[in-house]
This record gives sequence, structure tokens and C-alpha cells, in this order.
Amino acid sequence: MAALTLDTIDIVNPDLYVQRGYPHAEWALLRREAPIHYYQRPDVDPFWAITRHADIVNVSRQPGLFRSIQQLFITVNEPDSPPPDEAILRQLLNMNPPEHAAFRGVVNRRFTPRSVQQLTAGIERITTEVLDAIVGHDECDFVTAVSATLPLAVIAEMFGIPRADWPLMFRLSNEMIGPTDPEYAGSETVTETLERARMEFFQYFNGLVEDRRKNPRDDLSSALANGLVNGEPLPIFELMSYFALLIIAGNETTRNATTGGLHAFISNPDQWEKLKRDPALVPKAVEEIVRWTSPVIQFTRKATADTELGGHKIREGDILTLFYPSANRDESIFAAPNQFDITRHPNQHIAFGIGEHFCLGANLARLELQVMFRHLVERLESVELAGPVQRMRSSFVGGIKHMPVRLRVRPRQ
Amino acid sequence: MRVVVDHSLCEGNGRCVEAAPGIFELRDDDLSYVIEEQPPQSLRAKVDLAVSLCPRQAIRIIED
Repeated sequence: MAALTLDTIDIVNPDLYVQRGYPHAEWALLRREAPIHYYQRPDVDPFWAITRHADIVNVSRQPGLFRSIQQLFITVNEPDSPPPDEAILRQLLNMNPPEHAAFRGVVNRRFTPRSVQQLTAGIERITTEVLDAIVGHDECDFVTAVSATLPLAVIAEMFGIPRADWPLMFRLSNEMIGPTDPEYAGSETVTETLERARMEFFQYFNGLVEDRRKNPRDDLSSALANGLVNGEPLPIFELMSYFALLIIAGNETTRNATTGGLHAFISNPDQWEKLKRDPALVPKAVEEIVRWTSPVIQFTRKATADTELGGHKIREGDILTLFYPSANRDESIFAAPNQFDITRHPNQHIAFGIGEHFCLGANLARLELQVMFRHLVERLESVELAGPVQRMRSSFVGGIKHMPVRLRVRPRQ
Repeated sequence: MRVVVDHSLCEGNGRCVEAAPGIFELRDDDLSYVIEEQPPQSLRAKVDLAVSLCPRQAIRIIED
């Protein structure tokens, strides 16, 4: 393979993510030689690639100077994509202070460690059901059979969405997050996929809102439908977008951490044996899985004034892109960053982001992953890959669409 | 040093309690409280860790 050079490496082409997964060698080169790098390519709007842990923390902690924008991530310019400044949704990810905190406040108390802890019994029950369903199977697609099911079921139950509608939520989430992937877009263009999926989502959520305004329950749908921002109900577009954000974020990322986590254990059998011997390591193992998989690849920011960052002049209006998986392999923070080590401590990964936009669902994701891996380590007698993983065509979320495995799951005791 | 938690930012994520258990605690209202307002300098590293782990940047150290 030819040596990598700063002028020729590719870190945003979604085809690259399908073929090779994350470009860790490229990010390592950037961290080493150009941690704040002005990335210019013919088919990409130019941006500053930020790849070191400290710089990403620094930028994230100044939401006034580096604002969140409509265009959440950078990808190659493709025909039939919506214009980058058009908001598909108007939600927390593209809001800024003080509006952001006001909107976040509508539901954030439902995601605290204490609130989330109350969901434990439900998460245990769903996990048990998911694994029961593959007892006696020799082979399955781990993604559709296991990883996708738990987080989708949990967030759907939090919203009070009946089971019959979960497949719809799954399909629409895939289409919203992976409109550039042919498996999800079908014969539609990117814009057509996004706009149709959004319309289907909004029609569905509107039904929930109407119902919960008449018959409020103790669920997330009711909290949003009857929620107030600065004393007023949420405007309808923001309200619909909020539903979509939580449904999508609540099932895409944890799905990919689960799949990527099992993949890491299959590739590192010594770590699996270690966890089997000592299941008390599960919380640390989950932090390492989240660091290792870093399901969100990037978020953008826009500079609101001329400034300086690590000796580089950043101009007002410049776009910066924060590459979280790169920060989570930063040699200056993590010893042996390219080793999957379930005893790593402390584990200062920033896979959930940091600062104003810190992942609202982090406590929920942690709990789901802990329960899932506790059950897996107890019941999975053997597992190996039965074919290559299929990755989603996206430079935004590191999705694994399918992971065929041969496995043996022990019946419930 | 003096340690302060800004309750308009705190969401009770509890990272500070992990980092410095004697200095912070989570109470029933799901917020983090400082129980050792003026910790000795010997606990500086723990307080710094709590500040750096707080995902919402809700903790401040005020130097004497």
C-alpha cells in the first residue's frame, strides 16, 4: 500500500467507510502531523479536520465561538442531496445556547442516572426475550436479531409506541440516518428518501401528540406533547423533530456499539475470556466498547468570529469537524490506544461528546450495553463470524448493517 | 480552593461522584452537591478530574 500523505488521504468519502471501516491510519497521521488540518478536495466543501482529544474538548467547550449548525457532518458532495444549510430536522443537535438548554430541559430529567435506573427491569426483560429468540439457532444476523432489537424496544417503550409499530420506527430511522446507503434508499434519491421518511415520521408522531394531549401518560410522548419551552408549547416542527431525534439517536448508536462490541470480542478472544472469568468487569468493558466503536464519527461546528486554534488562524464562517473516533485513539490520552482492553481505567473517551451537547442518552446507552453484555457473557457459549460485516454507507454514523455469526446461546436458567 | 456546582447546568450525570466521592454527592433531586466545599489541596487531582469529566461543565474551582 502506498504511503499515506496529508494531501491525498480521504476521511469523508462514505464509500471508504463501507469498504474499510474507520480510517484509523489516516486519523493517526493527522494527529501526528496536522492535528488541525484544512482539508480541501474537489468534491468536498473545505473544513478544518480536528483529530486530537484536547482540541475537540477545547472546541466543544466553547459553544458560543464554535456554533452547531444545520449541516451536522461533512461528506462528499453527491447529486440529489439536500443543500447543506437546509435543516431536515430542527432539534437539539443543531441548536445553540440559550435555546439549546431550554429545549433540552423538556426531557433531560428522564435521562439522568436515577431515572434511567428505573428502566433496568424492563431492559433485563427485553434482553432475555431477545436472546431466548435465538436459542437453538446455529446462525443469525447479529444486528437484526440482537443489536437492533434491544435499543429500539427500549426507546419505543419509553415513548409508549405499540410493538406493532416498532418495525416502522426501525425502517424510518435507517432511512433518516442512512439515506446515502442503497439498501435504505432503494430507487429514491437522497433528498427523496429524507423527505419521505420525515413525512412518515411526522404523520406518526402527530398521532401520538394528539392522543397524549387528550390522554397524557407517564411516557416521553406525553412529556414532549405537553412540554413547555419558556412557558410555551413546542412549535410543531421542533416538536416533531424532537420525537425523530430521540427515536433515531435512541436506536442507531447503541445498536452499533453492541455489534461493534461483540465484533471486538470475536477479534480479541482473550478479552472475552477475561470478561467470562470476571463479569464484574462489565461496566469497564462497556466504556471500552464505547471508546473502541465510537459510533458517531463526526459533528461539525462553525466559527462565529476570527480566532486562533493551535497556531492556526480560523476565520469567521469556517467549518470545523470533530472526529470523535480519532480522539478516542489519541496516543497522548490513552496508553496503547489501538488495543481493545476491557480493564482500561480511567477511560476518558469522548464518544458521547462533551460540554453543551453531551449525549442526552449516555446513561441509557451505558445501561443497555451493560445489561446486554452481562447477558451475553452468561449465555453465549460460542460465537464466530460466519461472513463479512456489511457497513453502512455513511461518514456520519459508523453503522454495521449486518454481521452474520455462527453462535450457540444457552437456554435461560 | 472552593468548589461550586452550577445547578442550571448540572444534569446529575454523576461523573463527579465517581471521580471524587468525598467531595460530591447526588441527592434526591438528581443534582450533584458539593459536600466538601473547601477541599484540601491534597485532593486537587480528584477535583480536577471531576471538573474535566463533567460532561456539562457544571463544576467550577474558585481559587483562594
